[in-house]
Amino acid sequence: MGETEVGAGLRAELRAYVEEAFLYLHPDIELHDEDQFLELGVIDSLGFVELVEEVQTRYAIAVDALEITEENFGSLDALVAFVERRRPS
Amino acid sequence: MCGIAGIVRADPRAEVAEDALRRMAAALRHRGPDGWGIAREAGTGLVSTRLAIFDVPGGWQPMRGLRGTLLVYNGEVYNHPELRRELGGAFTTTSDTEVVLRLLERDGLAALERLNGQFAFAWWEPRERRLTLVRDRFGVRPLHWTALPDGGIAFASEAKALFASGEVAAAPDLAGIDEVFMTWGARAPRTAFAGIAQLPPGGLLVWEDGAVVAQRTWWAPDFGAGALAARAPGTDPSRPGPSRGAPGPDVAGPGALADLLADAVRLRLRADVPVGTYLSGGLDSSLITALAQRASDHELRTFSVAFHDARYDERAFQQQVAQALGTRHHVVEIGPREIADGFRAVVAHAETPLIRTAPIPLYLLAQATRAHGITVVATGEGADELFWGYDLFKETALRELHLRDPACAERLLDELYPYLDVPAERRGPAWKRFFFEAGASGDPLFSHQPRIVATGIVRAFYRPEIREALERMNGADPLARLRAELPPGFARWSALERAAYLELTTLLASNLLSAQGDRVAMAHGVEGRFPFLDHRVFAHAVALPPERKLGPGLREKAELRALAERLLPRAVVERPKQPYRAPAVVPFFGVDAPEWVQERLEARALDAVGMFDPGRVEGLLRRCRDGKATGFREGMALVGILSTQVWHERFCGTAAATGWPAERSAPRVRLDAAEGITSQ
Repeated sequence: MGETEVGAGLRAELRAYVEEAFLYLHPDIELHDEDQFLELGVIDSLGFVELVEEVQTRYAIAVDALEITEENFGSLDALVAFVERRRPS
Repeated sequence: MCGIAGIVRADPRAEVAEDALRRMAAALRHRGPDGWGIAREAGTGLVSTRLAIFDVPGGWQPMRGLRGTLLVYNGEVYNHPELRRELGGAFTTTSDTEVVLRLLERDGLAALERLNGQFAFAWWEPRERRLTLVRDRFGVRPLHWTALPDGGIAFASEAKALFASGEVAAAPDLAGIDEVFMTWGARAPRTAFAGIAQLPPGGLLVWEDGAVVAQRTWWAPDFGAGALAARAPGTDPSRPGPSRGAPGPDVAGPGALADLLADAVRLRLRADVPVGTYLSGGLDSSLITALAQRASDHELRTFSVAFHDARYDERAFQQQVAQALGTRHHVVEIGPREIADGFRAVVAHAETPLIRTAPIPLYLLAQATRAHGITVVATGEGADELFWGYDLFKETALRELHLRDPACAERLLDELYPYLDVPAERRGPAWKRFFFEAGASGDPLFSHQPRIVATGIVRAFYRPEIREALERMNGADPLARLRAELPPGFARWSALERAAYLELTTLLASNLLSAQGDRVAMAHGVEGRFPFLDHRVFAHAVALPPERKLGPGLREKAELRALAERLLPRAVVERPKQPYRAPAVVPFFGVDAPEWVQERLEARALDAVGMFDPGRVEGLLRRCRDGKATGFREGMALVGILSTQVWHERFCGTAAATGWPAERSAPRVRLDAAEGITSQ
């Protein structure tokens, strides 16, 4: 998958956040970019609140209720795609 | 108000060593700083430590009745003058203890229904070799017990006296600790200690000649009778409108609560020592203070906690009430340093891991109250449970409303939790989804699912082997136990009544009245009194139409506000409810953080206790050190982990076993096998 330099930076940033905020509670999990947070139990429902808050604040995105789906927030791949699509250019 | 403890052997000839009883008394002296007493007979030993409130010169315990039975008693029965008149005859003292003993000797356990108060006691009938343990309706006063290997029984106000007896060693109860991290406290009979049970609120236990022969509740909160008459199905708190339910039989009109609460306060001012109030600045304690000021025959003293951090501070409202009512007001200032410094002592008194630091300021408030010469304080505790003041009730109402009108419920949710660090506009849609998808409406625990999820974060730090041990343990699941023990009528109650029942039996009894109530006040020999927990006020609240509790537009405690409008400054009546909170992370990671915090949290200390995984904990500590742990969940996780470490060190560590000195002072009362008092 070809990814721009900006996209790679974004991916690294989001991974660092997820690792620092959630992954420390799951030392046995090696998180791949396509792994589903909920399925693996990496993030619970209240963790999702924090994740969405962080995305809104960090990237100045106003997230709509209908956008809170696994397609947008369910994995690192999904997050990167969502932020790239929605953040102000 | 006192501490009580005792040992009864299965073998009536077996000795109960005086030294063991003296150690038990010493472990409870903070509850009874004015003196202690002891009774020893073959196979039995009872001790009492006393905080003298009624009949200061007399009223010492253990007390022997006319039939030869013995009573050790902790608490107050406020209607003792009325009961005394009814009993008639001559009394040796003017204490409530003697009234309770007389009533028990006359009526047996039927006497309990007559008692208006907060108490825990042990009643020993030597002829039958029968020990009866009793706890008050809401569980204001604690009572713990353990079965002894020989078939005997030991009991005490606090578990530490059981450990001090040498009869039982302290060890963690995994299921009890797990319960703390789900519903904020171990629920009776469970405690955080293996082999140590607590009587449930409104509970009694009868031990007779070598065996426990009865365990039951003599009172339990029932939302059946009055509420069924008053309740309209599907009450919609978002819409103004007339009551859809007829008032129940106990609702005698708008003045009824005023009369009832005034009487509850009047009874709770009864004491032979001066009484003060705790004033938070909120509606409930302000109302109690106003009623106390009216009923008091001396200048009322009020005591408040103020925080350096403005997010938690309510001093402006406190001062407003104190000035308006003309009380003599005292303030204790709390900053991060005070919380860190008081933490270990509070854990030792509470005898349980904690998830919040909120008990620490109240521990320091009791210390200051005592220093000002006040040993009895009335507070507003109980009003939020009875009159649906907590945000949890609003959440529940909104989550129900969401099933019918999602847009309206979502709009109203934005108005909840204005005090959180993250403002509503930034909490965004995920926050809403968290609430509105947090459990099915048919689940008996529907109202509490968001809290259970939030608090459950602490469990994510368990070591894998602890998780596995809990999974293997039969009956360990706190939620399964809670569901299995719900009363028969529960399913017929409304969602908000079910929420109220769960609040009373989990949060109030297992946390607010214990770790945050009795334990931190009695640590300094200060007695809290709770007019809202007068069982007549409870019956009134149950019978009210729901909108008199959670009113139109999610206005909480409508019934109390109507009363408060006549007694308090408008600003206090109209202010939005602010929950009582205290900082969680800063005290342990700020510039003044004490060294012991790091020591207790380092990998070696975590390994020694064996509950939490050092790797996971290190991730949290990193966030705490970097100032990123700002959410309430991480605060709860830190306090949960740190308090478990401190608790284990205090009670289950290698140093704890030898730390129980015996009481060396002379007892004020000594009752021996022979009749009567031999010294005083």
